[in-house]
Amino acid sequence: MRARAREPLDPVGWLALPAVAYLLFIYALPLLLLLAHAVMGPQGFTLAPLAAFFADPFNWQVIANTLRIAALVTLVCLVIGYPTAFALAWSAGWTQVILLAAIILPLSVGVVVKAFAWQIVLRRDGVLSSAMMKLGLWDEPLRLLFTETGLVLGAANVFLPFMILPIYSVVKLIDPRLNEAGATLGATPVYRFRRVVLPLTLPGVVTGVVFVFSLSIAMYVIPSLLIGDRFQTLATLIGRSFLFMRNEQLGSTTATVLLVLAVAVVVGSGVLARRLGRSA
Amino acid sequence: MTRAEQGATVAVWTIASIAVIFLLTPLVVTIAVSFGSSAIFTLPPPDWSFRWYARLAATRGLLPALITSVEIAALSTLVALVLGTLCSIALVRGRFPGREAISTFLVSPLMLPGLVIGIAMLQGFRAVGLREVWTSLLIAHVVITMPFVVRTVLAALSLFDFSLIDAARTLGCSYLAALRKVLAPALAPAFLTSGMFAFLASMDNYPISIFFTDAWTKTLPIQMLQYVEESPDPTIAAISTGLILLAVAALFIGDRLVGLRRLADF
Amino acid sequence: MSDFLVITRAAKSFAGARVLDGVDLGVKRGEFVSLLGPSGCGKTTLLRIVAGLLAPDAGTVRLDGEDITARPPHRRDVGVVFQNYALFPHLTVAENVAFGLAARRAPRERIRATVARFLDLVHMQDFADRSVRALSGGQQQRVAVARALAVGPKLLLLDEPFSALDRKLRETMQIELKRLLRELSTTAVFVTHDQDEALMMSDRIAVISRGAIEQLADPATIYHRPATPFVLGFVGLSTRISGSVIEAHEGQVVLSTPHGRLRASGSLPPGAKAFVAVRPERIEVAPTAGKGNQIELPLRDVVFQGSKVQLHFDVAEGDRVIVEAAQLPNLRIEPGARLRLSFAAADAIAFQSESS
Repeated sequence: MRARAREPLDPVGWLALPAVAYLLFIYALPLLLLLAHAVMGPQGFTLAPLAAFFADPFNWQVIANTLRIAALVTLVCLVIGYPTAFALAWSAGWTQVILLAAIILPLSVGVVVKAFAWQIVLRRDGVLSSAMMKLGLWDEPLRLLFTETGLVLGAANVFLPFMILPIYSVVKLIDPRLNEAGATLGATPVYRFRRVVLPLTLPGVVTGVVFVFSLSIAMYVIPSLLIGDRFQTLATLIGRSFLFMRNEQLGSTTATVLLVLAVAVVVGSGVLARRLGRSA
Repeated sequence: MTRAEQGATVAVWTIASIAVIFLLTPLVVTIAVSFGSSAIFTLPPPDWSFRWYARLAATRGLLPALITSVEIAALSTLVALVLGTLCSIALVRGRFPGREAISTFLVSPLMLPGLVIGIAMLQGFRAVGLREVWTSLLIAHVVITMPFVVRTVLAALSLFDFSLIDAARTLGCSYLAALRKVLAPALAPAFLTSGMFAFLASMDNYPISIFFTDAWTKTLPIQMLQYVEESPDPTIAAISTGLILLAVAALFIGDRLVGLRRLADF
Repeated sequence: MSDFLVITRAAKSFAGARVLDGVDLGVKRGEFVSLLGPSGCGKTTLLRIVAGLLAPDAGTVRLDGEDITARPPHRRDVGVVFQNYALFPHLTVAENVAFGLAARRAPRERIRATVARFLDLVHMQDFADRSVRALSGGQQQRVAVARALAVGPKLLLLDEPFSALDRKLRETMQIELKRLLRELSTTAVFVTHDQDEALMMSDRIAVISRGAIEQLADPATIYHRPATPFVLGFVGLSTRISGSVIEAHEGQVVLSTPHGRLRASGSLPPGAKAFVAVRPERIEVAPTAGKGNQIELPLRDVVFQGSKVQLHFDVAEGDRVIVEAAQLPNLRIEPGARLRLSFAAADAIAFQSESS
């Protein structure tokens, strides 16, 4: 084997330059500057703004809110989305069309439309209230607007497709013969699900969970419309800081915290995915 | 089928039905409210009427916002398609280190909070002296659209059998003609789906657009949120219904051209 | 001794098409029976019904004295080796083989010992901790067989397990499988469309066409005494010389054909349109006294096949005469030459011609 001298850069590689350079300068660089600003004061490196941020118990509440809501939304999406992905994989003909349309159409419509619609649904005199009362589940009209439950419902509604589609893409790849093989080996349906189907769907579940969780910690429009000012998440705090309070310092610091959190989620999920892939 | 399997099947389809109703509820509610005669959002409405649609023409700022959104979305999608495709070709055909890192980097804007990216870009643009709102908006939106294009086109290209181009050339095509006749049709579905999703993502975007707005330049989501906050009445539902119709039309065309299943290939 | 596996009047239709038409089959304990037929004949459907993966429209399946027709597959004690092996991709080789035992909550020591034993039997001991994704087709095959046998099923079903392997490997695997099954005394039903495979491996063959068993017999009988034209045509090569019956007498008939009178075994009424079938290797070139049937035909093609030579002759439309010999006879063999051929009446069978 010849030792490789330094290879000249593959000319095809230059085609990547415009896109990469664009994102580097317009997207990556500003983000790095944001991070830098968070630790740069007039006298140089300083952790004062970050320290001040973490010293305020209100901010810890905000972080807790953000994580808690994101976890709940992800859980709801997982519980509803996992079986739905299977239904989508099993479906054919018109059933499949309906399922696909129900999943993709809301994606195409836009978050403002949906959040606004949920405002209407969650009101005290709204659709959900009357439906629940007609079904006999509630004794009196309840307002879900401006509550955490309402927020979780509304956010789950917007992000559900992002849980269903990754799981579906994995489920439809599972060879039906595997389930048959398990059965002929004497495994009960429950055992087959636990030991064959579930492990094979795990990569899709991880993708879906990461997607929904990342979207949930970053969402701004949905909490703005569905829960109001008394309940703050990192994103709404950032928004308020910049748009209403005109406190850019606080906004930048909070944005840094949110950014680090988001990156941690993505990196953590990558590690998890690799660990799962290795055990397969 | 054993009883356990039957039970599981029933459970799956029940939950799936709930999911469908859950997903379609906001759309149905919006359409219903838009045709109601009352200015308060009660359902079912006391009477049906078109008055909110009639108000659309008179709504200030709606048409300019719509035009702005469409322009920005179309142009940023176009730029993303060009830059993203060139880049995908490089990533699939090229031999250089860091290809996986580059593709992860290009898709990353999808995974990071839009609000944070918006702030960062605002501060970055300001630092270099760019204050023109419309241009800033366009430049920022390419960051939104690029990941969709790269993701989908890259996947399509890695499945493409490049020996087909060689085959075309042995049958008498020039290299460019081979690209046109063999590669372009194979990539057309990827262009279509990614272009569609990129366009919609740009039209729908709030967290980045909110930082690039002034009295004369607003995108549609910004404008709509303003209506909701200032004067909430079913006119907003009418606008929303219009958008829903547009989405249905886009889905229909998408299905005719590449099939709904392909659109779902996330 | 009553049969170990008894299929009675199994019937199945898909979308209006009758895939299985009331099939009866009995398999003795320890026997190796092949279901042989072209694709779409229903053999895989029958197999899946026995495995419990498909419910029949009618009919019953009895195994070891018990009616298992209504039982789900995981309670039938019937092992299956699938055509594409269906190994669990997320498990290692050892975990795959252990799967059935683990599902039955066998004690860990027993699982370990059994897995080791069966991996040994299929010569895959060194691969125990490898991922199945890295294995070749033949290796996956062997793991699939080990996996199915490790739980000690009463019956093993194999659905064209060797169809994806190349010829050399296939032959090795066939011999190994037979040896393994004999060692374990396992009853087996084997689905294939490859007649050489069926002839080589089976104690008995069920030739299936269009949802019905045309003949169930040991390989020699299937080959030398095919019961129907379909079996004749599907298993091995055959000549076909058409004519009409002029004499019928005690299990033998005489046909008048364009190439002369031919005598063959069969029971057909005089006047019936029929054809004579002989296996190519039972025809001799050059006239030999006492061989009964003699005809003279122009040679069309010589096909060299290594260990043997095939001679193809020009005959009437729809007919075929092929002769197989170990080597070329010492005559002028050239396309166009007229050669004298002879074969015994005992080697020839007369079948009724299908109505045109």
